[in-house]
Amino acid sequence: MTAPFLVAKGIAKRFGALTALSGVDLEIRSGEVLALLGDNGAGKSTFIKILAGAHPASDGELVIEGVPVAFSSPKDAAAAGIATIFQELALSENLSISENVFLGRELKRSVLGVPFLRRADMRQRVDGLLKELDAHISDPEAPVGSLSGGQRQAVAICRALNLNARLVIMDEPTAALAVAETRKVLALTRRLAERGCAVVLISHNISEVFEVADRIVVFRRGRKVAERLRAETNPEEIVSFITGAHPDVRALEKAN
Amino acid sequence: MRQLRNGVFSLNGREWSLLVACILAIIVFSVASPYYATSGNAGTVLRNSIELLLVGLGMMLLLAMGGIDVSVGVVMGLAAIGVGRALGAGVDPVLTAFVGPLTGALLGLLTAAVIVLGRVPAIVGTLGLLGVYRTAIFVLLGGQWLSGLPTGLTLLLGTTILGLPVAAWVIALAYLAVWIALRRTPFGLHLLAIGNSEEKARLSGIPVVKIRFATFIVSGALTGLAATFYVANYRNVEMTVGSTLALDAIAAVVLGGTSILGGRCSLVGTVLGVLLLRILQNGLLLTGVPSLWQPVVTGSLLIGVLGFEVLSNRLSLSRLGWASK
Repeated sequence: MTAPFLVAKGIAKRFGALTALSGVDLEIRSGEVLALLGDNGAGKSTFIKILAGAHPASDGELVIEGVPVAFSSPKDAAAAGIATIFQELALSENLSISENVFLGRELKRSVLGVPFLRRADMRQRVDGLLKELDAHISDPEAPVGSLSGGQRQAVAICRALNLNARLVIMDEPTAALAVAETRKVLALTRRLAERGCAVVLISHNISEVFEVADRIVVFRRGRKVAERLRAETNPEEIVSFITGAHPDVRALEKAN
Repeated sequence: MRQLRNGVFSLNGREWSLLVACILAIIVFSVASPYYATSGNAGTVLRNSIELLLVGLGMMLLLAMGGIDVSVGVVMGLAAIGVGRALGAGVDPVLTAFVGPLTGALLGLLTAAVIVLGRVPAIVGTLGLLGVYRTAIFVLLGGQWLSGLPTGLTLLLGTTILGLPVAAWVIALAYLAVWIALRRTPFGLHLLAIGNSEEKARLSGIPVVKIRFATFIVSGALTGLAATFYVANYRNVEMTVGSTLALDAIAAVVLGGTSILGGRCSLVGTVLGVLLLRILQNGLLLTGVPSLWQPVVTGSLLIGVLGFEVLSNRLSLSRLGWASK
């Protein structure tokens, strides 16, 4: 097994008196799809927001390739190679596909100190990425607001690839998609891992998770309650972890 | 964004409608008043449009970013007092001309500090500043008009370059600079992305605070530049200076197709919106409608356009949902 890309040690997050996360230890490996499962409010979203630099952790440590890191903004996380594809997709509906792919990291050339956009170069790069992902988008100049849900996911994945992301976090990527588009996004997820990316997938859909994930982690009430290789578990066991019916979870919750 | 993509010389539907509305208004007023269709009156309309073209440009940037500034009238007033005082003190007219944009930029910085750092909604923050600045104008003017200023600026701005007055050059340069910034530099993408959703823009790694500060400062500078022309035109600053400027600017910009909710703007639309507003105001005056009614007309136009947009947006949104499949 390769060394982990990212190690989270004892991550906790408190919002005032509310404890959203406590004592989460997790290893995320390159080339592997790691699924995070859990009920609403289990702390999955809080955890990935910490990885993405959107929230600071109240406690704990993130280590990337052996080096401790502290993110004060999404920009820091992106610089460390972490790209997040949020549930609500942080795309600007009013901008075009290539503008979205490069947003915040535009290619530019300086003329008399004025940073001019290199639109043709950006367009070329995006055309290449879209082809590589086999995403069928007829007009790359169209505003993202006119695309379907699956096409938007493809744009978001292009964006992550373009940032040379080493870790891509996908938050419920298929939640709003039709069946055919879901298949496509799951295939994209596998392709990311095959390219050597570490992928963290958040999902509610257990059959989907069993289809693409290499490893499955279950969150419950702000804690990590289970971690299993896909080959060593089954959907029934994972469901019992999520609902808290599993004896291990009961024992854990009684102990606290 | 689509409007911007169309470039400067090709108009979209909204801009064509505005152009037609301007021409129709001119025809109707020419029939209604013998004083209307004269070259002197055309000059008056254009001269009256100078300040609003500049303030409207700044307001367009703010609205496109999802911001707003209802204090532009008093910001122009304060900058005008600065220009007037400098002029009265015998400062060189060329230097005096820069007092306006400089004062405006400083006030823009202050506005940004209140709204961005104070995390106050722009409409509330600038409404608060409006109250503060209105009193500041009263105190600075001591309850009297600043009047009888020297003619230095008038002479400066009466000058023509290649047959066009200085004001026309300044406005053209301001619009060109904003067009380049919006269309050719990352600033435009960042501004429109913030206007679409500030949270998403932040998650995309856009320096949201920096862009918001810059936009408020630019809008302030443009409003201050308008103050220089105001003083040059009228050579006085009255207590109620700029009292309908915010309404006029917001109405003109929204009329021009810039979204009041942000994320979309039009430079050509802004110019046409300003011209239509000034043509209507001037025409109504010449056909005997008291100027008291001008804000009623402007306000009704603003409400009418917004109502129309809500209805048509709803339609196009549902169309979009079906069309994407």
